[in-house]
Amino acid sequence: MDFSSNIATQLNAGAILPEGIVVVTILLVLICDLIVGKSSARWLPYVAIAGLLASVAALWLKWDATESLAFLQGFNGDDLSIAFRGIVALSATVTILMSVRYVEQSGTSLAEFIAILLAATLGGMFLSGANDLVMIFVALETLSISSYLLTGYTKRDPRSNEAALKYLLIGAASSAIFLYGVSLLYGLSGGQTNLDAIATALANGDGGESLGLAIALVFAIAGISFKISAVPFHQWTPDVYEGSPTPVVAFLSVGSKAAGFALAIRLLVTAFGAVSEEWHFIFTALAILSMILGNVVALAQTSMKRMLAYSSIGQAGFVMIGFIAGTDAGYSSMIFYLLIYLFMNLGAFTCVILFSLQTGTDQISDYSGLYQKDPLLTLALSICLLSLGGIPPFAGFFGKIYLFWSGWQAGLYGLVLLGLVTSVVSIYYYIRVVKMMVVKEPQEMSETVENYPEVRWSLPGMRPLQVGIVVSLVATTLAGILSNPLFTFANNSVINSPVLQSAKLTQPIAKAGISETSDRPIVQ
Amino acid sequence: MLSVLLLVPIIGAAIVAFLPMGESKRLRQFTAIIATLVFAWIVYLLTQFDLSNSGFQFSEYLSWVQPIGLSYSLGVDGLSMPLLALNGLLTWIAIYSSRGDIERPRLYYSLILLVNAGVSGALMAQNLLLFVIFYELELIPFYLLIGIWGGKKRGYAATKFLLYTAVSGLLVLAAFLGLAFLSATPNFDYNSITTEGLGLTTQLVLLTLLLVGFGIKIPLVPLHTWMPDAYVESSPSTAILLGGVLAKLGTYGLVRFGLQLFPETWSLVAPGLAAIGTVSVVYGAMAAIAQKDIKRMVAYSSIGHMGYILVAAAAGTELSVLGAVAQMVSHGLILALLFYLVGIVEQKAGTRELDVLNGLMNPIRGLPLTSALLIMAGMGSAGIPGLVGFAAEFIVFQGSFTTFPIPVLVCIIASGLTAVYFVILLNRTCFGKLDNETAYYPKVLLTERIPAFVLTVTILFLGLQPNWMIRWIKPYTTSVAVNPTGLQIAQVETQK
Repeated sequence: MDFSSNIATQLNAGAILPEGIVVVTILLVLICDLIVGKSSARWLPYVAIAGLLASVAALWLKWDATESLAFLQGFNGDDLSIAFRGIVALSATVTILMSVRYVEQSGTSLAEFIAILLAATLGGMFLSGANDLVMIFVALETLSISSYLLTGYTKRDPRSNEAALKYLLIGAASSAIFLYGVSLLYGLSGGQTNLDAIATALANGDGGESLGLAIALVFAIAGISFKISAVPFHQWTPDVYEGSPTPVVAFLSVGSKAAGFALAIRLLVTAFGAVSEEWHFIFTALAILSMILGNVVALAQTSMKRMLAYSSIGQAGFVMIGFIAGTDAGYSSMIFYLLIYLFMNLGAFTCVILFSLQTGTDQISDYSGLYQKDPLLTLALSICLLSLGGIPPFAGFFGKIYLFWSGWQAGLYGLVLLGLVTSVVSIYYYIRVVKMMVVKEPQEMSETVENYPEVRWSLPGMRPLQVGIVVSLVATTLAGILSNPLFTFANNSVINSPVLQSAKLTQPIAKAGISETSDRPIVQ
Repeated sequence: MLSVLLLVPIIGAAIVAFLPMGESKRLRQFTAIIATLVFAWIVYLLTQFDLSNSGFQFSEYLSWVQPIGLSYSLGVDGLSMPLLALNGLLTWIAIYSSRGDIERPRLYYSLILLVNAGVSGALMAQNLLLFVIFYELELIPFYLLIGIWGGKKRGYAATKFLLYTAVSGLLVLAAFLGLAFLSATPNFDYNSITTEGLGLTTQLVLLTLLLVGFGIKIPLVPLHTWMPDAYVESSPSTAILLGGVLAKLGTYGLVRFGLQLFPETWSLVAPGLAAIGTVSVVYGAMAAIAQKDIKRMVAYSSIGHMGYILVAAAAGTELSVLGAVAQMVSHGLILALLFYLVGIVEQKAGTRELDVLNGLMNPIRGLPLTSALLIMAGMGSAGIPGLVGFAAEFIVFQGSFTTFPIPVLVCIIASGLTAVYFVILLNRTCFGKLDNETAYYPKVLLTERIPAFVLTVTILFLGLQPNWMIRWIKPYTTSVAVNPTGLQIAQVETQK
């Protein structure tokens, strides 16, 4: 009796209730599709959305749970993980909203698509809380393999196949590299797989600053950078984004990235605490490269999806500022920005999907004069893009300010200034699309827009799309002005997470000579 | 009390944008009513303004987003109150002078109302971040106003404007981040920011960021290249808002955040600023003389007149700061009148070329009253006594002379050059013989004259009775003068 109750507390299976709900939803979707057949496509998306929302609700219930460690410390369901799992689940929800019509029009089965997307979500959610090397790798692979399947989902489209193959090859290579780095970590720590145990073993043993640890670090960062598509591990991004089905791109750019950042925080802050200066340095370089390359190359793009691909690289660079800052404010600004990024980026993608459903093209020049034909789409896409560019009073401005402010407080003056400069660059390419849509005269209208059919919201699958647009539009507009609850949420999720707090006590901030403004002592 | 100035135009903009209101003319009426309400409220505030108080009045405070130190904190003082009034008046003029058959009226009028709210917000913001939000808020509406309703090269002009202004905004933001962080305050509130105790180099770096940022907006030579394009390519009403109101945010920021937050360092950079101001004055006048396009001429004249403000702000004496604020108001009024009249000339005569225009004074076939008002505006801009331009420039020169005698002398000579190009402009356009082959110009309707009359009367009235402008500014200037040299220092010290 004593033993079994002990096991129960050790397992603490309740911590993964949200993931459990997602698993049940996957099974439900698959079984319903098997039994009912094709006609189930009408309501299956709503089942999936309901499941995801229930999962988010379950996450809400787990907020501030006293016992966050589960499965013999293999999974950590602390508030930090809840924030990231919430972002992943929400991004999947919005992705389903936008994918119903798109997948149906491509002539493939919707139920399978949703099942694979949910599997990817599951992987992302587990990755956000994984506290054990094996767990991390399994979750990472669940996410990755599902993503490969998703990118190749429109199998009749050769570009989708090409994208899937590219993604698979590069992804598999990066997984292998990551696994190799992790195996080194396993060896150096004397056979530990738990992140905290590794940190202790490394701190006590003599492997602290060894070459092996440095190699392990570099390899692990390579794997993470692939997921968050940080330059120079970004080469797959534009091609994959251009070829894959657009809803998948939307998920990859938000959900998958958020999971990658969660992994970065947990793995680097905990296990690599001994070499924090090194990884801060590497991430500074990645952030600089991502901000510059992402934003500058986006200037030259003619395809909307490619532009958004490069812009998402640049945006990941901004988010890294918060990570490098390494303060409470830094981490919470990451979460805050990702939350806002979720709505504005998915909003932009929803608009792109609607446009390509109506016209069959993704070229930026084809958007010219859209104002005349579809004011709602123009308004929504303009606001989402302006918000991505950081123009007040939209949510993106507040997110960026918080990132820059926390970076500045941590003494990252150079990075913040670079962020400011590159956001001006980004304004230019975002506004180019707005200009195409709004400023062009009726006579300058592109041929595509000239033949733009009237949007028929009553068609099957269009309602969810409309809901997606309106929700992200409202969120992008108001989340900035009414951002206090979001700020509180992001801050609490950081402050309540012992992982980050204990890490702050044991490691110095990477920059020399910067005293922190918070009143926590820093032991050098 | 002050939130009204934000809420009314923003709600109005939403109504105009989203509710069906029928045709263009009715939209204009509705927007004009909103603008009138806003202006009436400003007049009411002016009457309630406590002239003996040099600090912020009608303050409002709401803690907004704590983690980034953003609060909704408004207040006005002698610096912002006259500019608020200017903003209210010119917005009304801009709406009234918009063409009745303008395309896409809903977008147009809602953007103008947004601009009004944004400028008011920036002038009232007592939190640095709030100021940046309003300052950047102007970006997109003006981009669209220039880009959609502008002239031939509007796309180019609008993009140039956007890029320059975005850079300006980010420089200001960077300076504010630095300021707030270094003054170790948990928020960006204006009152809690101080540069005391900062190293000289740090202060210089921050101040330079601010100067370049606001210098783009003003614009100062050599950061002015966006400005002639933007002014010339935009429609008359947009040009009125751009030159009359938006540019004032630059000078306002310079005084509010440069002069007031960096009292010690200001005197160090002041000679350089005065020099840049003088260069702007001379360059503006010279460039205006060389122009063949009357709108471009007016645009360059604006560079020159903004230069006076810089010289006066650099001097930092009690009188010169007073002159700076007065010059902001007077320049706004005169430039608006000039742009408005040039717009009418262009609309009726079909051209802006100096070489083509001739004999507009012709009482039957020409535009006699418009020409008369144009002469009036030219006189005002050239600083003829009896008009507001003279009063403001005189205070500027008198206040700054003790500190910067040589720049001021150069400026006085350059103000003579102002007369030169206005004589050229008036001589070529208004006088002479109207070509016989030129057909009768369309008559200027009474309703089209009203904005010009309103502006002219204001210019004349404030010129004859400048005290009506000065009295609101006066208490403010006594509190901010920083000039360590010159005759005013004794006064400053006794006040402290």
